[in-house]
Amino acid sequence: MTNDTSGDVRLSGISKAYGSFTAVHPLDLTVPQGSFFALLGASGCGKTTTLRMIAGLEEPSAGTVFLGDQEVTRLPPYKRPVNTVFQSYALFPHLDIFENVAFGLRRRGIKSVKKQVEEMLDLVQLGEQARKKPHQLSGGQQQRVAVARALINHPKVLLLDEPLGALDLKLRRQMQLELKRIQTEVGITFVHVTHDQEEAMTMADTVAVMNAGRVEQLGSPADLYENPRTTFVANFLGTSNLIEADVDSRSGDEIVLKAGGGKLVLPEARCSAPTTTGGKVLVGVRPEKISLTHAHDAGEIPAGRNRITGKIADSRFIGVSTQYVVDSPVCPDFEVYAQNIDRDTRLVPGADVVLHWNPAHTFGLDATQSLLAGTVGSVGIEEEAAV
Amino acid sequence: MATLTEAPPPLSPTAPAKTPPRRRGRLVPYWLLLPGILWLLVFFALPMIYQASTSVQTGSLEEGYEVTWHFATYWDALSEYYPQFLRSVLYAGSATVLCLILGYPLAYLIAFRAGRWRNLIMILVIAPFFTSFLIRTLAWKTILADGGPVVGALNTLHVLDVTSWLGMTSGDRVLATPLAVVCGLTYNFLPFMILPLYSSLERIDGRLHEAAGDLYAKPITTFRKVTFPLSMPGVVSGTLLTFIPAAGDYVNADLLGSADTRMVGNVIQTQFLRILDYPTAAALSFILMAAILVMVTVYIRKSGTEDLV
Repeated sequence: MTNDTSGDVRLSGISKAYGSFTAVHPLDLTVPQGSFFALLGASGCGKTTTLRMIAGLEEPSAGTVFLGDQEVTRLPPYKRPVNTVFQSYALFPHLDIFENVAFGLRRRGIKSVKKQVEEMLDLVQLGEQARKKPHQLSGGQQQRVAVARALINHPKVLLLDEPLGALDLKLRRQMQLELKRIQTEVGITFVHVTHDQEEAMTMADTVAVMNAGRVEQLGSPADLYENPRTTFVANFLGTSNLIEADVDSRSGDEIVLKAGGGKLVLPEARCSAPTTTGGKVLVGVRPEKISLTHAHDAGEIPAGRNRITGKIADSRFIGVSTQYVVDSPVCPDFEVYAQNIDRDTRLVPGADVVLHWNPAHTFGLDATQSLLAGTVGSVGIEEEAAV
Repeated sequence: MATLTEAPPPLSPTAPAKTPPRRRGRLVPYWLLLPGILWLLVFFALPMIYQASTSVQTGSLEEGYEVTWHFATYWDALSEYYPQFLRSVLYAGSATVLCLILGYPLAYLIAFRAGRWRNLIMILVIAPFFTSFLIRTLAWKTILADGGPVVGALNTLHVLDVTSWLGMTSGDRVLATPLAVVCGLTYNFLPFMILPLYSSLERIDGRLHEAAGDLYAKPITTFRKVTFPLSMPGVVSGTLLTFIPAAGDYVNADLLGSADTRMVGNVIQTQFLRILDYPTAAALSFILMAAILVMVTVYIRKSGTEDLV
């Protein structure tokens, strides 16, 4: 990135309360210039409120908002160098596409808008539709108009409030790539609010996972996925198998744990919780990291791998992989995703199996949290949010 | 016999069973339209034809009237009563403008700012309808009475000097002046302005205001470029619902005005009920109708809201 900081977004201690309900707890966040930043969380987690405070559509109860070096906390939206792509697009129904896109330029007193508007419409491939009214366009086209209408103003920061929520899956995928392309091209800071973890991971450089008005964890998508620090993040981003284990001993930078009679090894560097011998810790492993071997071939498993025994409860063939649910003494529904390369025909429901994985793929979490935080059906998570 | 009668059914029941519902389905809209069409025919079309024929009759009350295609009645009526026509347009137009000026902020307030008071304010807007039109207008006679508090206050504030200079009042009277008639019209038709305005403002998506603000529009510009254009259907229907009945009204001019403030409604009323010159009254009614129709058409064309209405 450049040294230019005029497109930085700095939130310092901002919070928002509606009566006795606190939508956003005091929050510090810095979004560096030119980055694609995603605020990810289930509905009601405070992500949209945070975005609206940056846009100026909501006034923080406390704290300050900086854009670059300028404090904008009390500035009305029309004086802020940011633009928003609204969830439902909020295109002006009485104006045609051209005038919708030209709106911001005209408000700033720019007279000759034709060339700029046409270029912008070409960028989003809507040059032909300039004289149509918004309701004559499809959802995806309206979405592109909303992006063009915001981008034409060359904002320091572009705010996107669930911009793809109303599109069907295929179009959403296409628009994700499109938005990412535009962001790379124009180099503006994007702050993107979404409840779709896949969308956040595909598009953003940095993701902040929000839960109940707080940022649970912030990092690159790969970092969040591989090193979740809370059970909420572990369960909300993808799927995690979490096992409750007792700390047995330490050897070098590895922690040896006891779980259900077996032993598991956890690299100390990957444990976010303090561990004391005899204490408890939650051990996690992602389903695709695990290999599945039939109990008869258990002898062929290389030494040094973490192992757990169990019985296949269910298997789902989904094309690229097969997803198994394994009933094991340490975890009643252990998820295992196996690539369909060499399928062992003995791996059917009812078969006894050994689950094993490289200890390096194990992560450790504080055992005082709920195992189920961030899963479908837990507080604040709706069905759609975890899809 | 039994085998013969039982053999063909597979074909026949399907054929008639399929066609009748479709035919019935096609007729349903017409059946639904029938009551409305009958109503229009009996209470609108027939009286119109009857009136049209009356307007081209000649004769007298004693000898009876007959159709003589005497179109001159129209010309005579217009040349004799054009001041009342102009006055009607002027008064109704002023009342409509006043209604818009008074009604728009209120409708805006109810639609966007009233919060939990919304229903209460709506009830207050409609509340006057619980009293008779006549009683409400008579009440204004008391309110604007000579030497009453309102006239006194206007006098002290020298408002009456201004309105007298404009020819809207005379001396220190308000009653029996054009101002009183316009006030009465404005008061009586204000709800017809507020209700359509409210319903079209209320339909505007609040996020459009946010989007305009986000795109550098100051609140006043947001109103000018987004809110007002989107409320045009309400403005058009509100002004029509106010102007049309106000132009034909005679109660306000009768109760609050004087001989110098007679509107065309008063003339028609007098011709029909006192002088009993039915052809002239019918001709005046038709001229009024035609004039309003022309004005409304031009207005709707000009306001360019056909695709928004």
